[in-house]
Amino acid sequence: MFKQPVPIVPDFPNATPELMKKCEELKTVDGDKVLITDLLKIIVQNYTLYYECSTKVDGWQEWYTEQKKIYEKLKK
Amino acid sequence: MWIFTIMPDWVVHALTALGFLALVAGFVLGMVPFIKKYSIPLKIFGLLIFVFGCYLEGGLANETIWQARVKEVEAQVANMKAESANLNTQLQEALGQKKEVIREKGDTIVKYVDRFKDREVLKEVQGPERVRIEKVIEYIEHCPVPKELLEVHNKAATMNKGEKK
Repeated sequence: MFKQPVPIVPDFPNATPELMKKCEELKTVDGDKVLITDLLKIIVQNYTLYYECSTKVDGWQEWYTEQKKIYEKLKK
Repeated sequence: MWIFTIMPDWVVHALTALGFLALVAGFVLGMVPFIKKYSIPLKIFGLLIFVFGCYLEGGLANETIWQARVKEVEAQVANMKAESANLNTQLQEALGQKKEVIREKGDTIVKYVDRFKDREVLKEVQGPERVRIEKVIEYIEHCPVPKELLEVHNKAATMNKGEKK
């Protein structure tokens, strides 16, 4: 008798603000005479940017998994 | 049922009661001589109103259960919103901490690399460590990175831009 869905549509959940920030572009090396230490620093900074961005991807996956769990609870 | 949006509940109960009373009156008062002639119309009227009242009572009961279900789902949605907001707060905090740790580690490595930038560091260290650092600085000073290699690095760092291939 009450199998039909209740006409209430939950709002789409907001994303975590940190996840909405775009990943920064990797840095390039400028100049003709560059010391290996300067190159190394840029490489390290790029690794830092990569790990920051990969943390965001992990965060999105966690966000999706957890939001899905919350949504599934509503369907029951 | 749309009718319940304009009709108060008591009207439904009153209609059912009226129909029932008219029906009873039709049967019971039919025995009184001067009312006897109104017995049949009273029974018909009573029956119609009673049946209609029963129909509305059923609809009203259904509506009540339905409204309860709506309220239950509304409460669940509100719960869901709160849980979702809570999750976002936790995630924001965790991401902020991770980001900070990554930046701190990166800065530490950059600072370590900066030690070899000039000979100032040699004033602070002594013994075999000094010799080792001196050798590294000497190597850095005499070996600038070829431009071709820098271009390769820059190409790799910007491979997400420009043409598809």
